[in-house]
Amino acid sequence: MSGISKKLFEEWRELARKELKGKSLDNHFWNTPEEIKVMPLYTEEDLSALSEQKESLPGLEPFLRGPRATMYTNKPWTIRQYAGFSTAEESNEFYKKCLENGQTGLSVAFDLATHRGYDSDHPRVLGDVGKAGVAIDTVEDMKILFNEIPLDKMSVSMTMNGAVLPVLAGYIVAAEEQGVAQQNLSGTIQNDILKEFMVRNTYIYPPGQSMRIVSDIIAYTSKNMPLYNSISISGYHMQEAGATLTQELAYTLADGIEYVRAALSAGLEIDEFAPRLSFFFCTGMNFFMEVAKLRAARFIWAKLMKQFNPKDSRSLSLRTHCQTSGVSLTSQDPHNNIIRTAYEALAAVLGGTQSLHTNAFDEALALPSKLSSRIARNTQLILSEETGVTNVIDPLAGSYYVESLTKQVIDKTLSLIEEVEEMGGMTKAVSEGFTKMRIEESAAKKQARVDKGEEVIVGVNKYVNSNLNDKIELLEVDNEKVIKEQIKKLSKIKKERNNQKVAVSIDQLRKGANGKGNLLELSIEAIRARATVGEVSAAIEDIFSRHKAVSKSITGVYGAAFSEDKMYSETQKKVNEFANREGRQPRILVAKLGQDGHDRGAKIIATAFADIGFDVDVGPLFATPEETSKQAIENDVHVVGISSQAAGHKTLVPELIKSLKKNGGEKVIVVVGGIVPPGDIDDLKNSGVSAIFGPGTPIIDSANQVIDILLDKN
Amino acid sequence: MPDLLKKKNLDILEKEFGTINKLSEQIISGDIRTLSRCITLSESSREDHQIFARAVLGKILPKTGNSLRIGISGPPGVGKSTFIETLGLYLLKKNKKIAVLAVDPSSAKSGGSILGDKTRMEKLSQSEKVFIRPSPAGTTLGGVGRHTREALLLCEAAGYDTIFVETVGVGQSESAVSNIIDIFYLLISPGGGDELQGIKRGIVELADLIIINKADGSLKKDAENIARDYSSAVKLLRPRFNNWVTKVLTCSALENTGIDKIWNSTEEFFQKFNKEREILNYRKDQYRKWLREEIIQNLNKQIYSSTKINGLIEFYENKVLVGDILPSDAAYEIVNNFLKK
Repeated sequence: MSGISKKLFEEWRELARKELKGKSLDNHFWNTPEEIKVMPLYTEEDLSALSEQKESLPGLEPFLRGPRATMYTNKPWTIRQYAGFSTAEESNEFYKKCLENGQTGLSVAFDLATHRGYDSDHPRVLGDVGKAGVAIDTVEDMKILFNEIPLDKMSVSMTMNGAVLPVLAGYIVAAEEQGVAQQNLSGTIQNDILKEFMVRNTYIYPPGQSMRIVSDIIAYTSKNMPLYNSISISGYHMQEAGATLTQELAYTLADGIEYVRAALSAGLEIDEFAPRLSFFFCTGMNFFMEVAKLRAARFIWAKLMKQFNPKDSRSLSLRTHCQTSGVSLTSQDPHNNIIRTAYEALAAVLGGTQSLHTNAFDEALALPSKLSSRIARNTQLILSEETGVTNVIDPLAGSYYVESLTKQVIDKTLSLIEEVEEMGGMTKAVSEGFTKMRIEESAAKKQARVDKGEEVIVGVNKYVNSNLNDKIELLEVDNEKVIKEQIKKLSKIKKERNNQKVAVSIDQLRKGANGKGNLLELSIEAIRARATVGEVSAAIEDIFSRHKAVSKSITGVYGAAFSEDKMYSETQKKVNEFANREGRQPRILVAKLGQDGHDRGAKIIATAFADIGFDVDVGPLFATPEETSKQAIENDVHVVGISSQAAGHKTLVPELIKSLKKNGGEKVIVVVGGIVPPGDIDDLKNSGVSAIFGPGTPIIDSANQVIDILLDKN
Repeated sequence: MPDLLKKKNLDILEKEFGTINKLSEQIISGDIRTLSRCITLSESSREDHQIFARAVLGKILPKTGNSLRIGISGPPGVGKSTFIETLGLYLLKKNKKIAVLAVDPSSAKSGGSILGDKTRMEKLSQSEKVFIRPSPAGTTLGGVGRHTREALLLCEAAGYDTIFVETVGVGQSESAVSNIIDIFYLLISPGGGDELQGIKRGIVELADLIIINKADGSLKKDAENIARDYSSAVKLLRPRFNNWVTKVLTCSALENTGIDKIWNSTEEFFQKFNKEREILNYRKDQYRKWLREEIIQNLNKQIYSSTKINGLIEFYENKVLVGDILPSDAAYEIVNNFLKK
């Protein structure tokens, strides 16, 4: 030990013990969800073994300290806010205003119908059109979306994974008709299908076929669009779904390796595409761990990529976009979210992100409004231009704590990656549902920590302010109006286009899917001919089929955390009382309606309610109200619980209740959980919803309320 | 049967659920709500519910017996639900009306369970001509047989002509189910060579068709190999029926291959037995067993619900534990005492 002598350290320990009134220091270790033991004090000794970290410099392998030599001292991160409003017209207007106000990149949010490859007139998507982003049916919508935005100068990021082919093709053709050549396009398409099978679920085709699409896109763009990032390998949604930070990192990097292998086996050279791979991580409230995560990410990626023997060192460097955490936002006391987002943004910047999205404070209640979007953007502008964080590269390097933590994150992550590799890689692990189960287990544990108050959320499980009366203006989407407009545009285009030409191009696409043609190239042809997003997707579906998720559920994890909780055992008692009276356990159908694939909430509810003593039926994803009502009646459930994260509830839940009544299920109780704007509550209740549970409602409370309603009613 | 219920109780139940006559009429007319309601009643742990459900069953009994009763089992992860989905969609094209009764394991600790079958039979569950009902196994295993049998009869009365009974494949519930169904499919996946040991020999003996699922992609070869192993293994087993040798087939539920072969064999099975009226005899045997099972269960319940007998059991238990008396002699005394009451 060069710095602190053993004697001095012992002196400190003694002093600490005194301050703790004789209690052992060991009680002050913090066991993080990643199973990393954080000590109360770090010293120089903790750095002694970390020579590789200590000897690292920005811009140089292994890129621990940043992908570029100058980092923010030359150019701050890109402020890239993800947004999309119902129609192409509205979104375009919003983007233009953002660019005027200091935003430096665009990020397009699409509605769920587009994600899943359906046109706006498809009967399965009535509740979803224009809800969580912009509805795109044809290249004409794309052209409106980017009207007066110079696509050769503005980098555009598109969050699209399912319907990547028609959407990327639409962007390319829109640029072409704007007069911008493909080789001048810069930006990113998410195109990360593997994580869709673990979380989020906006896939269309099965894993194997989807990987073919990914490698076709990498092949096409590396040849024709040298400035374009063909894939953004995303951990964001994993953390949002409850993954620990090391799980997020490990599974994302393992996904990355899988894409590299797919591209290599499609015949590409590693240096042709690896420099254009980019990443996307979530930044949550675990501040130092988030900083360590980004540093570790770059370090591990460089190590992993070595196995492919690249000659270009850029192939080893990980560049990433970050977004502040959506699940850390609360509907209670929502202005607190501004503060949360600011801390998260700081962590992402100290970790060295290349671009950043900061969430709007009202996103736990509704889609962001104009005001909340402005505050979110300004959070970054203030951080970048007022605080001085941009003046020094990787300012936390050398911190005893952060360096040690970085090392521990590296080690933990590598062992998780190894586990996946041993299974035969990510496509395999994903197909078997392995990683999904792991994440769901972590999610159930996290929910239990929050519900028990072990993980504090101010305003939710501590310092709750019950008489809040802040008026917040929320964005409302008139979904029916959007559908009408989209259908009008669709039928006009279908009338004016050369249908013969469309049919030929669609046929070519089918042939290509069956054989060897590049699917992006063929999609561009079809989109140019004015084929719709739905038509292109359906043609490929004819050959590839539509993927059906294998849904596995875990039990016992949530209940195990509550073995001695009073409220928990009281709820169980009520459940037993009901079971004795009725002759069976209370039975609940947990269902998702429409194209919203975020099933973390539904999964946690299912496992927790089963642990409490409910018989839980889990409905399939992407159900229509009629299908859900049929299932509720066949299974003779007492309750249907709808989990809604994407604003489709306003149309879909009343439809469900109507259908239940029509089929003799008028006694079935309907409850809704998830993101429900306060303004929708009365409408939902009037339509017959018995209870509504916002984000942050402890599950045990909701179970308790449900069982009370049941006991009361019968 | 309803006279087992007090008039007052019967009135209450009829008021809540509808009269026995009305309920049986509605089931026969194919009303799904009533069908699912009556299954709930028969599964109920409340005795009055059970008796009431049996009263309905008694009414609809003449309308039962007209379906192909197919049992499906296999170890977890073999793809039973995907298989039923694929086979079911195939049968819908043949204009069949299909019911699927799935028995799911409960977590005994809290009594709750997760029943996820419809997520796995997504397309099938959307059809108007399909009824899917997952049921928790409950804490008593004896329940599986009785509840499922009653649900099956109700479905037959409601007009379903092809009924699948799906169980988890861990052993106990299969033999109960084999007393309900006509033909038994055992599903096996090709992964790993020690699968033969993984499945209890007793279950293999019950199978009329052994189906190696997941014969696709890299597993295709393995599937064929394991099919060969099973083909030679079943020769050593005693078949369930004298004139039916267990068949071993491969399929891929995922890629929809081999399904027609499975259905052809199934039809062959039923043709054979319909011609030789063996199905009828077999079902009669099942009823004989059912009767005997019910007698035992009834006795069981009556013995253990008697406080006098419970006291006696405690008394003899102590004697047994200190070595004063043999358990068999003690049991003899207790039963004699019970019969004397």
